[in-house]
Amino acid sequence: MSSPPTDPLRGLPGTFALCLGVLCIALAAVYQATAGGTAFTTETLRRTAVAQSPVAVPDFSVIDAQGRSQTLRQLVGQDGRVWIVDFVYTRCTTLCLTLGTVFQQLQAQIVAQGLTQQVGLLSISFDPLADQPPALADYAQRMRMQPAVWQLVSLQNETDRRRLLDSFGIMVVPAPLGEFEHNAALHIVNPQGQLVRILGLGDGAAALELAISLAAAQGSSGAR
Amino acid sequence: MSTTKGLATPAAGATARTPASTPARTAALTPALTAALTTLAALALSLPPLRVLIEQSMVWHMLVQMPLLVLAGWWAAAAWGPAQGLRWNRYGLSGFMLAQCIAAYWMIPALVDRAVVLPGADAAKLVTLWLAGAALRLGYVQAPPVVQLFFIGYGLPMMAWLGLYLAGTDLRLCNAYSLESQVRAGWGLLGLAVVLGLAWAVALCRGLWASAPQSISWRAGASP
Repeated sequence: MSSPPTDPLRGLPGTFALCLGVLCIALAAVYQATAGGTAFTTETLRRTAVAQSPVAVPDFSVIDAQGRSQTLRQLVGQDGRVWIVDFVYTRCTTLCLTLGTVFQQLQAQIVAQGLTQQVGLLSISFDPLADQPPALADYAQRMRMQPAVWQLVSLQNETDRRRLLDSFGIMVVPAPLGEFEHNAALHIVNPQGQLVRILGLGDGAAALELAISLAAAQGSSGAR
Repeated sequence: MSTTKGLATPAAGATARTPASTPARTAALTPALTAALTTLAALALSLPPLRVLIEQSMVWHMLVQMPLLVLAGWWAAAAWGPAQGLRWNRYGLSGFMLAQCIAAYWMIPALVDRAVVLPGADAAKLVTLWLAGAALRLGYVQAPPVVQLFFIGYGLPMMAWLGLYLAGTDLRLCNAYSLESQVRAGWGLLGLAVVLGLAWAVALCRGLWASAPQSISWRAGASP
C-alpha cells in the first residue's frame, strides 16, 4: 500500500485477469470434486456414483450363525431375491440399534405383504474378529430375525474386511467406549451381485419399494 | 520505482531487495525461522507417527494442521516475499482471491475425507494450503482496508457458518470422523473465525492509528 505507483489503474487489468483465472480454476476443481456441485460429502458422492453405475459386490466367503459358509455372490444370487443390505457389528449399542429397528420394520412389512419371495434382508458384520457364529446367533435372537427373510453373516476371513468396506464405500472409525462409527445406509443389491442403489436410513419405505420393483423386473426378464 | 517487476518469484524478489541495514537483516531471520518450523510441524502431521492424529481427529486436521500450513505460507511470504507490491496483485486482489478459493475448497467435507484417505489428495492439501497462506500475506500487505474488509468479511463468516453447521447438525458430514470429533471441530472453527476477526480488527486499528498522522507528513515531504 505504501508502494509509490501513482497510477491507480496500474496493473489492474492484469490483476482482474489473474483473479478471473484463479476463480475459474477453483470453480472447475470444485465442480469436478463434487459431481457437478451436487454432492459435498463423501456419503452423497458414494450414493450418486452407485446410482449412476452399479458396483459389483466382492466375492468372498461369509459365515452365518450356524457356521455355514458360502460366498457373498452365492448368497445374494441364491433365489432371485433382491436384497436390502446393511453393515453392523453385533456389540453395537448405538447406531446399529437404529439400523436394527429399521430392519425389523422392513421384516414385518415383507412378511405382512407376502414379499418373502421377492425381497430379502441381509446384515453383514464388519467385525469378523468378534462376530463369530455364537455372537451372530445371539444377535439374531435379540433382533428377532426370521431366517427366511433376514439373514446375518460375518466374514470368514478377517483379511477380506478392508475389501468389503472399500467396495461398498463404508468407512469405519473408532468411537469412544470401544464402539465404531460408520456411514450407515440401506444398500440395494440385485441377484446378479450388483450394488445398484444406496438410500438413507430414513428411507426404508423407498428402499422396499425400489427392491420390489427391481424384483418384478427380475422376474419378468427371467421369465422370458 | 524504476523497474516493473510483474510476477517476480519470491527468490527474485529477495535478491532484488534494496540492501538492508544489519538490524533489519537479523530481524528478517525470525519470519524465516518461523516459516521453516511451522512448515515442518505441519508436514510432520501428515507423516507417521503423527499422522494418526489427523486421521482420528477432525480438530487436529482442520484446526491444527490446516492453520499451521496457512501460517507457514504466511511467514514464508513475510520472510522471502518481494519487497515491493507485485504488479498483477494490485490492491492485493489476486492474493486474496487465491487464498479464499483454496480455503473454500478445503472446507468441503468430501475433500477433507479425501485428504485423510488418499495420499495424493493429502499432498495437494499440503501444497495448496501453504500457498494459500503465502497468497494471503501477499494480498494483505497490498490491500487497502476496504479490500481487506471485503475478503475477510466474506471468508471469516463462511468459516463461522461452517463451524456452526458442523457443530449443530446430527449428520456425520465426514465419513472419516466421528460425530463427536465433528462437533468439536465445528466449535473450534467458530472460535477460530472469531479470533481471526478480532486479530484483523486490532491490526487494522493499530495500522490506521500509526499511519494517520505520519501519512500527511510523508505526502508533504518526500515524493519518489
